[in-house]
Amino acid sequence: MKRLSIVSAVIATGAMVLSTLPAQAAQTTGVTANEIKLGISSPTSGSAGLVYGNVPGAMKAYFDYINANGGVNGRKIKLVHRNDKYTVRGAATSTFDLVYEDNVFAVVGALGTATHQSGYKAASMAVENVPDLFVNSGWSGFNDKVAYPTTFMLLPTYAMEAKVMAKVVKDNFPGQATFLVAQNDEFGDDARAGFGAASHKFTREFPYPQGGMDIATARTILEAIKAVPGKPVVVLFGTGDATVAMLKAAEELSLTKKFTWLAGSVGADANTLLALKVKPETIDGVLSASFMPDAKDLTDPYVKQFVAINTKYRKGKAFDNYVLAGMNSAMLTVQALRAAGPNLTRDGLMKAIETKGSKFASAGLVPLGYSATSRIGYNGYWVSQINAKGEGKPYGGKLVIYTTDSGAGAVTENKTFVRPTMPKNGIPTNK
Amino acid sequence: MKNTNLKKGFVALIASTLVAVFTVAIPSSASAAETCTKEYLTTVSGGVDFTKCVGTDVNGSKYEIRMPAKFNGTLFTYAHGIRYGVALPANPAAGTPAVPINYEPEVAPTEAVAQSMLAAGYALAGSGATSQGWNLTELTDATLQVLQIARDKYSKISKVVAWGNSLGGLTTQALSEQFSGAIDAALPMCMADSAQAEITMAGDFLWGLKVLFNPAIKGTGYSAGQTGYIEMLGDLAQVRATLTEIRTAIIADPLRPKWPTTSTAPANLQAIPVRAAVMLLGLVSGISTQSNTYDGVAGPPGASETTFGAALSPALAVLENGAEAAGLAVLANYDMERRASGVVFDNSTTNYSTRLGTAGTTYAAALSGLDAARGILLYLSAMPRVKSDPAAVATLNSIYQIQGKIEVPTIALSATSDHITPAGAAQYLINQYNDAIDNGKAKAGKLVVIWNKPPNEYTKFGASGAITPTVPTNGVGHCTFTTAQVMTVAKMAATAAKTGKIPSSTAVKAAIKSDENLFVNPNYKPDLLKFRQ
Repeated sequence: MKRLSIVSAVIATGAMVLSTLPAQAAQTTGVTANEIKLGISSPTSGSAGLVYGNVPGAMKAYFDYINANGGVNGRKIKLVHRNDKYTVRGAATSTFDLVYEDNVFAVVGALGTATHQSGYKAASMAVENVPDLFVNSGWSGFNDKVAYPTTFMLLPTYAMEAKVMAKVVKDNFPGQATFLVAQNDEFGDDARAGFGAASHKFTREFPYPQGGMDIATARTILEAIKAVPGKPVVVLFGTGDATVAMLKAAEELSLTKKFTWLAGSVGADANTLLALKVKPETIDGVLSASFMPDAKDLTDPYVKQFVAINTKYRKGKAFDNYVLAGMNSAMLTVQALRAAGPNLTRDGLMKAIETKGSKFASAGLVPLGYSATSRIGYNGYWVSQINAKGEGKPYGGKLVIYTTDSGAGAVTENKTFVRPTMPKNGIPTNK
Repeated sequence: MKNTNLKKGFVALIASTLVAVFTVAIPSSASAAETCTKEYLTTVSGGVDFTKCVGTDVNGSKYEIRMPAKFNGTLFTYAHGIRYGVALPANPAAGTPAVPINYEPEVAPTEAVAQSMLAAGYALAGSGATSQGWNLTELTDATLQVLQIARDKYSKISKVVAWGNSLGGLTTQALSEQFSGAIDAALPMCMADSAQAEITMAGDFLWGLKVLFNPAIKGTGYSAGQTGYIEMLGDLAQVRATLTEIRTAIIADPLRPKWPTTSTAPANLQAIPVRAAVMLLGLVSGISTQSNTYDGVAGPPGASETTFGAALSPALAVLENGAEAAGLAVLANYDMERRASGVVFDNSTTNYSTRLGTAGTTYAAALSGLDAARGILLYLSAMPRVKSDPAAVATLNSIYQIQGKIEVPTIALSATSDHITPAGAAQYLINQYNDAIDNGKAKAGKLVVIWNKPPNEYTKFGASGAITPTVPTNGVGHCTFTTAQVMTVAKMAATAAKTGKIPSSTAVKAAIKSDENLFVNPNYKPDLLKFRQ
């Protein structure tokens, strides 16, 4: 009888081990005693690559820096990048391969809305419980914990951005005609919802499909509005290549100073605009909503540290807002991994961001909003004005941080936020 | 065929009873007209002696049996895919020859596969049913007939695997679910969904072509007799001309291609690039956004790569796939209407906005923006719809439907981007099987689905644009499996027939390890056909 009990106990234990093994394995997929494997799907070629191509390299540079300084709890971070070419199908296969071929622990910094919607679904990231960290999209749908239970956004929502832009227009350009040139997808729809929530009505809207804004189209738009009296405000809510097309068309038509240009954060990197041959005098005065410091502001301790890392780990390559964003995402990732502790699990990582993420050190000039109920990263914007050197300075000479929500809430100034101090040498020590 | 323990013996009893019924049902004269010849096949590793027998079964269906001299005991009975149910005349303008109705038997998906199977020691059998078109019932019966003829002829057959492509894949499943005692394993490949599911997919695309681009397309409600036949041929010509005009327009101006001159859509709708309208039709119909030529990712090197991959490639893929889907819709509608004595396609209550679903936002770039998609959907919502004949639909649905009552080990092979029999058909089989398990009508552990995906990128570019591959792209197109892939799953099925079990996950992964495009993944769940969503 006793023998039978022992046998039963052994069988029971064995059964328990067998039944828990798969779940346990999924929790630690991509993690070994010495390594944490992460993945990113983003474009590094084509027109999208010209704009966003530096992001994965910047993340890798920061991880290399951390690895050279001991890694995270003794583990080195390996970043696997797959070029999705900014296509829906490319993101699907890239993300699928990251999850099932590369067996990454988490996906970090996925870029784009439609692309990441596709990738998330194709790789069954919800079912596989793969953490989806610091997504480079402001589509408010990624904050839906039911549809995207493992996703943590980095950007504020586009609706928030639109509401802040609406306030800027209302406060600074009363009586001027306003025009919206926006990507005609959920990116632009989110923005339109935000402007609507702020009760802002444009004089006219010019929606265009992603990839559909070329100089000829831009010229047509500008020709249609050039006779409007005063100095109308043109809001550009699209990617960098579309901003370039609009500004170049304005150059061709000698209309650069006819309008006040207000560009969304996604398409307003001054370095990219200059690199794509927009004239310095054209970008001089362009307004932009932003949540990050300006990449040219070497007085900013985060920028200064990241520039140093860039110089060492990306030798000879320029530092711009996208490099800054990439390194910032990487630093957030390191803090999240540290916060999850040495016994790293996928659930532990996501829980750590929910409970501690709002306090992570970050270059962002606005607060992080992670909590048990919100997966939105940055919560707010400041408004910068670009000069001919490509520097972004606070519009009006004073840094004003606006916070709001994605719905009907008011846009308010946040006068209490104090950005966390940059960790010494840029190496987080949080727990 | 079965082991002799009590439980399995009971199954064997049922199985032998079924077989006995067929034995009774098949007169000994079934193979009276049979002709057998000794054949020799030269292979890389030497040669294969086999006996090839051809004949006609009791229903008049031609059959063929190939028995290798070194037989390993397992017979594969093959059910072929859908064929034209009517003869098509030559079309000199299109450069196409006359196509007679094909009643010839097939024993394997390709002759290369047949030879590899014989070399591996498997016997092969297959038939060509007396009725072509959507001949699920006739083909199931013909497959059973040849199976029994082979058994009667060769007592050394110990195991039987039923397999088939496309409609033959569905036939295989029908055979398995209705006559499981007659076979030991099933291997449905690129299997079709039910007639209604398939005709809804192709029919939606065809209806869209009609209302957006060419109202001269009849599409449904073909007349009886010779008049209907001529109407059907006229539709084939109209579809071809319309799609050719769209293709020419896209080549002339990829970014802003014009609509066909036959379109009666309002001017503001025609301001939308026609490729976007084609894309929308593909998405609401469930036509794959990857085709033989276009992968939906790659673009010509340089800055335009992004626009091509995001906006043009998926639409061009739908156009390439849609040409076949629309042709199929014409022929299948004609065939099914004749079989069911009435209109079977129905979109009278279809909400195409709902059909588009989240694909509208995901593919906004290829749709030329959400506003363009909304405009086309609004127009479609106002267009006259097609109402089916309830009696005809009932007749169609009286044909076998996938139940998921799987009793023999079943290995399904399905391509993720098949535009004729989408992966959703195999997913439906999985769903039905899971439901059958939950309802106590099937036992767990009898089904494994192996998926075949295309390479991540395969579109190649020359000086004048994308180059259509000279060989079909594996993982896209219809039933484009390689010989090696088919052999891999066939061997798995043969083993399953012997053991009575599907291979373990580890065994499957080991078997497909060297193939970059095959994978198994229980969490991979392709969308069902639109009819089932």
